[in-house]
Amino acid sequence: MADRSQHAGQIMENQTHYDLNAAIENWLAELAAQPNLTSDDRRELETHLRDAIAGFQQRGLNDEESFWLACKRVGQPPELGEEFVKSDPTNDWRERVFWMANALLFVNLWSSLIGAFSLKYARGNLSHPWQLKYYLFISMSYCVLILCCVVFLASSRLRHRTKVLSFIFQSRARFILVGLLLVLAVNFLRASATVGGALVTQVFFLGLIIYSPWSLSLIGLIAWLMPVQNRKTPRRS
Amino acid sequence: MYKTIMLSKDMVAASAKPLLLSLLAGGESYGYEIIQQVRELSGGQIEWSDGMLYPVLHRLERDGLVESEWKESDIGRERKYYCLSSAGRKALKTEQQQWLTVHNTLGKLWKIKPITI
Repeated sequence: MADRSQHAGQIMENQTHYDLNAAIENWLAELAAQPNLTSDDRRELETHLRDAIAGFQQRGLNDEESFWLACKRVGQPPELGEEFVKSDPTNDWRERVFWMANALLFVNLWSSLIGAFSLKYARGNLSHPWQLKYYLFISMSYCVLILCCVVFLASSRLRHRTKVLSFIFQSRARFILVGLLLVLAVNFLRASATVGGALVTQVFFLGLIIYSPWSLSLIGLIAWLMPVQNRKTPRRS
Repeated sequence: MYKTIMLSKDMVAASAKPLLLSLLAGGESYGYEIIQQVRELSGGQIEWSDGMLYPVLHRLERDGLVESEWKESDIGRERKYYCLSSAGRKALKTEQQQWLTVHNTLGKLWKIKPITI
């Protein structure tokens, strides 16, 4: 028995000294990586953590144990960030505008696409009966769009988002890239549907100048409002 | 052996506002102390986390019910102290009446004497 306790004592001595300040600094750095916390929030949480550590130390726990328990009480920085953002009322509006801008962009691209297709088939055939078909086709396409939305929501797929959507929305750069490609593709389709041959490039660039500021600003707005998860967080020691 | 009853999440959320207003009515306080006081007063049955406390405190501040100020404490550490505003005092009265209404209604069903203030 005596041997064993001596051995345990040796192990304790051999352990490297626990650097409490470094641990706190690390925790703070992780907290600073949370986009939703203001510097005032962080300062407040820091004093709380220090108070909690002091509380455990007073009860006779060592630095490492105190820090570990205090962290558990206060919560992990990512969780804290989430809790704080829930309480911020401006965030609700950010989210609403985010979805609104998404819907606008989607409808914008959709209508351009449908316009391009219907123009393609109507080319040189814009006589009266075709015009009627043209408008009917466009209005039907919006009904299809709304129907798709209903089916999408009713099948509760939103809860476990489809893979494609989450892939696009994973990072800002990816979303901007996909958005730009879509705008370019739709514009090209429209240009090639309106005219043929050598004029396509000219009409394409003209279309870009006329139509794209609206879509591009929407893409910018969405990218800005995008909830970005897991920014670079410093590694925990 | 005694059994502790932990409050459900909904109850913790609903009781946070009246508890905070009542605690601060007794004088200014800061986050860590508030959590300790609540734990002590409830006999360990109400366990608040920071993640929950600060958002509620900040919301009360935005609503003008509490005011906050950074001050140096007696041990030299700066802390953010919260105190009740006059609007907070009024809100506390309303909260008291509402909670007592619920309490007394349940009390009638459970045959407990009603409480008045």
